[in-house]
Amino acid sequence: MKSRTDEPPRFAHWLLTKLHPDDTLEEVEGDLDELYTYWSARSGKTQATLRYLLNVVSVLPPFVRKREQEHKPYSNLTTAMLRNYLKIAYRTLQKHRLYSLLNIGGLAIGMACCLLIALYILDELSYDRFNPNYSRIYRVVEKQKQADGIYDVAVTPGPLAASLKKDFPEVELTTRIGRWSGLLTHGRQAIEPDKMLIVDPSFFALFDFPLLLGDVTTAFQGPDEVIFSEGMAERFYGKDWPYKHILGQLIQLNTQQTLKLVGVARNPPSRSHIQFDVLLPFKWLEKNDEWSMKWNSNSYHTYLQLRPELTNTSAGLEPFAHKIRNSLQRYINGDKTQLMLQPLSAIYLHSKFSFETDWGKRSDIVYVRIFIAVGLIVLLIAIINFINLATARASGRAKEVGVRKTIGAQQLNLIGQFLGEALLTTGLAVGLAVFLANFLVPLFNDISGKVLQLPYHLGLFWILLVGMTGVVSLLTGLYPAFILSSFRPVTALKGIVNAGKGRSFRQILVIGQFVLSVSMGIATVVIYKQLSFVQTAKLGFDKEHLIYLRLKGDLRAKAWTFKQQVEQLPGVAKASLTTSNLVGITNSAFVEWEGQAPKDEFLMTNMNIDQDFVSTVGMKVLAGRNFSAQIPSDTSGTLGAYLINETAAKRMGWTLRTALGKRIKHWGQDGLVIGVLKDFHFRPLHVAIEPFIFRYQPSNPYFNLLVKTEPGAIGQTLSRLAAVYKKNEPVSPFSYGFVNQDLDAQYKAEQRAGRIIFYFAMLAILIACLGLFGLAAFTAEQRTKEIGVRKILGASIVSLVALLSQDFLKLVLIAILVASPIAWWCMNQWLNEFAYKVTIDWWLFALAGSLAIGIALLTVSFQSIKAALMNPVKSLRSE
Amino acid sequence: MRRTYLGEFEEVVLLMVAILDGEGYGVTVSQALEEHTGRIVTFGTVHNTLIRLEEKGFVRSELGGATAERGGRRKRLFRITALGSRALQEIQQLRQDLWQLLPPNTLQLNGI
Repeated sequence: MKSRTDEPPRFAHWLLTKLHPDDTLEEVEGDLDELYTYWSARSGKTQATLRYLLNVVSVLPPFVRKREQEHKPYSNLTTAMLRNYLKIAYRTLQKHRLYSLLNIGGLAIGMACCLLIALYILDELSYDRFNPNYSRIYRVVEKQKQADGIYDVAVTPGPLAASLKKDFPEVELTTRIGRWSGLLTHGRQAIEPDKMLIVDPSFFALFDFPLLLGDVTTAFQGPDEVIFSEGMAERFYGKDWPYKHILGQLIQLNTQQTLKLVGVARNPPSRSHIQFDVLLPFKWLEKNDEWSMKWNSNSYHTYLQLRPELTNTSAGLEPFAHKIRNSLQRYINGDKTQLMLQPLSAIYLHSKFSFETDWGKRSDIVYVRIFIAVGLIVLLIAIINFINLATARASGRAKEVGVRKTIGAQQLNLIGQFLGEALLTTGLAVGLAVFLANFLVPLFNDISGKVLQLPYHLGLFWILLVGMTGVVSLLTGLYPAFILSSFRPVTALKGIVNAGKGRSFRQILVIGQFVLSVSMGIATVVIYKQLSFVQTAKLGFDKEHLIYLRLKGDLRAKAWTFKQQVEQLPGVAKASLTTSNLVGITNSAFVEWEGQAPKDEFLMTNMNIDQDFVSTVGMKVLAGRNFSAQIPSDTSGTLGAYLINETAAKRMGWTLRTALGKRIKHWGQDGLVIGVLKDFHFRPLHVAIEPFIFRYQPSNPYFNLLVKTEPGAIGQTLSRLAAVYKKNEPVSPFSYGFVNQDLDAQYKAEQRAGRIIFYFAMLAILIACLGLFGLAAFTAEQRTKEIGVRKILGASIVSLVALLSQDFLKLVLIAILVASPIAWWCMNQWLNEFAYKVTIDWWLFALAGSLAIGIALLTVSFQSIKAALMNPVKSLRSE
Repeated sequence: MRRTYLGEFEEVVLLMVAILDGEGYGVTVSQALEEHTGRIVTFGTVHNTLIRLEEKGFVRSELGGATAERGGRRKRLFRITALGSRALQEIQQLRQDLWQLLPPNTLQLNGI
């Protein structure tokens, strides 16, 4: 016996046994052992070990030469073979036109969906990335701790930006953005821009908003300057503004102040969360509003650009974020508010801030995720179709497999062949998908509210298409390829192919398809039910026939005479002066009340109204009385009157009765509660009703006139209103809105998502049914003889149809049972976003389920009836 | 005349197989190579060359001759075929013919 130490290194030996070709392993193993003994005798153990290692490597692949095998696998990559494969693939496609159509069509629809959704998502994810330094730009946001909880707030005090720049060397640049509104006039042109921002000069350094006209280095150094966007320049000066000398022209702001036009900026890209028509300098704000430079002016967005070394490494940012977190205490004594950094690229999709402090373009990452899921589901359903049809029809190609194997094809060759066929089908489907997507882009843009195009000019697009073709053809082809290529030639040629093979697998896949599509169906029904609920919900006031007019310029002073003139117009039922238009009211302040416990404080939303408000909007006084013009104390400056809502009464510990006559101090103004109004929704139905207080202070400014119109002839009434408006305020344009439309617009994101999911659910069901149709056709074809025999023995057509359909219906039923809890859970998650929501009733599932069954039945019965009606003579003739 | 190409190393290995006369296998061939030519080559090279020679039909092989020192594993013993010996002879013949054509003293002069 040799001792263990004489043995060659075990690892090398193990490698050899694992990797060396089997047929020469024995001799090589022996030879190397012998050589090892020879080497260690001649030059010692270490040398021997080294040489052994080297020589083992020399006989491992790829160095080693394989002995020619007795049966060398034929390479199927010869032109003759390829031509044969192509021919067979073409013939199979041709021979089974229906199946080919179902396969290619289903896949094409699925992939077209994926393409569109991918476009949508890429667009959503690319926001703000046009800024070259986007990865270093952060917005400073606040986490405010208030008595009733922690609020995320997107605004920060005016002096914060400068202080951060001074105190933190990590900060390279800062800029502030504030919001403003007003009327711009130039000569006889008067325009009220939608999006007017106040910015620091560094705005142009931080963000990539180039000036087409004007000099960035000098712009906004002075207070009385203004910059237009291209769009605004065009509105003021016409399309040929670049040829007019407009720089330096004087623009009036609110007819009182004169600003000099110092530049025209390129229109902000649509993929920017910052959108503007007009820019004003912060210097101007500082001159006109001292408060903006105080620490308690929490109204501005603060953006920081950090030094590159901070954001190059993932760990670099953390210490700075930590340092800055509690830095507000340095500037405001005892302020517990924390400062957070929000990356620029996250602002568009990840902004959820309280008190409407975040303005500009927003979307929600949740919907991006939902769309990704929806797209993949539709594609998955299409892929399952392919797999099902391919495996079901495998027996049809069993003979071909048998012949090929007999002639010498190996399983690998066959797998290659069938994968190639899948690639061919998928390739055709991708082509069709691009065509479809191209055709559907306008429709999709309409639904999604975006302006998307297929990026044919991008190399990446084509690479993605090729990648998708590869992945999808692998997914579709792999399983069928293994099934088909595993037939044993003897049985295959004898014609004994178990058609039932893989049947339960197919059934599971069909169930899976229907689980997905029925879930989407249920989701659609729930979303629509919730949307119609929020749109028809009783808000506590009558939103129909309610118009709001914005009071601008001189009208604010002349509000009462304007109101009187409006009330006399035909078609106007009632009118009321208010501060808000009843859509998403957010103006809130702390309140003190009789019997308040110490430290018990909360924010109360408020609105200044007049005596006609309650009757104009149709609110209900539950206790006490409405404001009255006849009672002087209602408008008294020392001890006025307040109306509160039920929730407010409850929050302050009163009942409807006891609330009356209680003393409240709100915004420094004392008053008595004279009435309690029934609760009404003043914010979207996402949030619960909160305490609300109405003031009646005619001397304070009103911003809106709510007009209740008579039903019908709204157009005429509007033109009359416009005429009265023009008479009183000739400068500012007449602007108005319909309260019900604006209320509906609050649910735009949900409506859009609902529409998209609706369309994709339809597609999912359609594709699943295509697959079902194919399978039904296949089963009917397989059972032709059985049906013939049954008919001869007296089976009725109805019983035959039932026989053929029930198998599939069973699957759909199971799918509904599985889908219901899944959909219920998912939709509950979605509904939790709403404080007021519909219940998910059992009938929703019944509805979606019976729809699915109905559609499936239609699909299947077409084939079943066709089979049942067939003449048995024909089906039994050939044997 | 169609002639299968025989590389230089292949030729040497083929000669070794012929010299070893039925006793040639991986170990003996590499040892003989080392001994007679001083060339140290990896075992893989010898192994591959032997396989290639067999594919070309210059040698044939059979398994046999298990010994205890190789853990009872069989050897693949190589033997030169008629084709192999003819190829060697042809090469030898060709060289000799070429030597004949060499002008006298050329090599000596160049060698200085």
